[in-house]
Amino acid sequence: MSLFELAWKSISGYAFRSSVVALCAFLVAAFALFTTLVMRGAENSLRLAIDRLGADIVVVPEGAEAKVESALLMGIPARLWMPQEKMEKISTIDGVDTVSPQLYLATLTGASCCSVSDMFMIAYDPQTDFTVQPWLQRTIGGGLRLGEVVGGSYISATEGKQNIRVYGYLVTLKSNLEPTGTGLDQSMFLTFDTAYDIARKSGSQAESPLVIPPGSISAAMVKVQPGSDPREVAVRIMQSVPGVTPIESTNLFQSYRKQMTSLLKSILVILGLTWGLCVVLIGLVFSMAANERRKELGVIRAMGAGRRYVFQSLLAEASILAFFGGLSGIILAVAAVYLFRHLIMASMEIPFLLPSPVSLLLYIGGGLALALFSVNLAALFPAYKISRQEPALAMRE
Amino acid sequence: MICVNDVTKIYPLAKGSSVTAVDRASLEIHPGDFTIVVGRSGSGKTTLLNLLAGLTRPTSGNVTVDGTNLWTLTDDQQSRLRNQTLGFVFQFPSLLPYLTVFENLILPTCLQPKPSQNGVRERASECLQKVELYDKREVYPRQLSAGQQQRVVIARSLMNQPKILLADEPTSNLDEKTELEIMDLFANLHASMGVTIVMVTHTQQLISYSNHAVTMAAGKIINDARR
Repeated sequence: MSLFELAWKSISGYAFRSSVVALCAFLVAAFALFTTLVMRGAENSLRLAIDRLGADIVVVPEGAEAKVESALLMGIPARLWMPQEKMEKISTIDGVDTVSPQLYLATLTGASCCSVSDMFMIAYDPQTDFTVQPWLQRTIGGGLRLGEVVGGSYISATEGKQNIRVYGYLVTLKSNLEPTGTGLDQSMFLTFDTAYDIARKSGSQAESPLVIPPGSISAAMVKVQPGSDPREVAVRIMQSVPGVTPIESTNLFQSYRKQMTSLLKSILVILGLTWGLCVVLIGLVFSMAANERRKELGVIRAMGAGRRYVFQSLLAEASILAFFGGLSGIILAVAAVYLFRHLIMASMEIPFLLPSPVSLLLYIGGGLALALFSVNLAALFPAYKISRQEPALAMRE
Repeated sequence: MICVNDVTKIYPLAKGSSVTAVDRASLEIHPGDFTIVVGRSGSGKTTLLNLLAGLTRPTSGNVTVDGTNLWTLTDDQQSRLRNQTLGFVFQFPSLLPYLTVFENLILPTCLQPKPSQNGVRERASECLQKVELYDKREVYPRQLSAGQQQRVVIARSLMNQPKILLADEPTSNLDEKTELEIMDLFANLHASMGVTIVMVTHTQQLISYSNHAVTMAAGKIINDARR
């Protein structure tokens, strides 16, 4: 019978006490992993969304920053316009390498002429675009033709195998983008030509026409020249072009970042309190258990177990309980995040991207390590104290 | 074999007071002795037994086993000595409730860092047969009577083939008939295996089983007689 077998049998023999310790490990691991997965998922999602946009600076109409963020991050359709001349002015600013316009459109809500309701659509100009086209080149080997679209990861054909009806116009879904966990996953990308073609035909084909104000754009994506500081370029745009707001990509989604930071702070406080309470509770349970088992441990020492053996066997019990309690907590946290991620995104108003298998394994390892550390930390003092006690004293009433 | 040299054990109590459990006791236990230590409750018998086993540190004096002062050994060395040389039978129920009779029996063989498992099962079976409880090997202690539990404890104390068996009032919780059965068992073990036995009891009549009787009162050895 090994030390771990003895510890296992002792755990089975004191089921209630063992359950309390395992439950604490469960809570610590579950809460920590759930929080980590959600917060890291949101962070990764934001980072990917910024990468996907691929611009150093996004220029939007003044006062429309929040709308653009909501559209890109949560897929809430935005309709905003600024004169195209703004873009031309921006392109002349020192440090600007390329400027590409985008149109932010949306399908109708609950209309029979649209097979998807209230979907965010981003139209780009193939002549100048440097954000969508490089990806298209890599994946489908070319650009989009008239009537073709690419969708976010959640977009699927609703008419036949490849088609989606938008304003009574059948567009062909050429491919899907990799998931980002943001509103971009529920958005459709199309060329200016397709957007204008839909707008032109929507007058006769749709319940309500798609209106694109002539000479207007929704946003301008800016790439700065190599060696230029995006911050300085953004300041120059602000000073030279009235009525627009340049947002550096690193500053994009600031309101969401602030929301996430405050959420993270609250969660960390709760996590810290839970962890502290669990460690104290485990410590108390172990102290009580060690006291209750004084005689038993005294007998084991009298039979020839050294202090180290007693200490190790108590920590082995703690480790086994931490492992199984922590593992259960981890399984629950992972299952909850996978099953309820949409609900979590909606209720917390944050984007979310599932971690890669390697990251998930690392998080799981971290969760288990935290459970093991917490339980062993709590058990350390009672185990040390009882192992140092004289066997004769331990066996006395 | 065991020498107790002028040993005193004082237990500190609350508020700076103390109690002298054993007071300048000296005693020699020879190989093959069946020593019985008698005395009233509180006379220091159990403390003396604990001192003999190194389970408590003497306040002064020393205890040697085979010429080795117990308190010059490290904790690991002391534990090994207890494990290999001494067997214990306690007054209180000392079987681990979550282990079967068989598992309780093999426990002493598992407590050292590199336990040898050679012949452990056979020896456990042999020890259980000696106490006539082989058929109870798979049951848990709660399924046994007090007498049967004490017989299992005796069997367990023999597992590592100790030279010395230390028994602390092993019959105090038993009825008269079971007490006699247990004492006969000790007498048989002493006769058949030649194991040295040191037993503490408050029952004067049990002295008849011994060849060496020690009487204690108020922590002092007041009589040490051999037959």
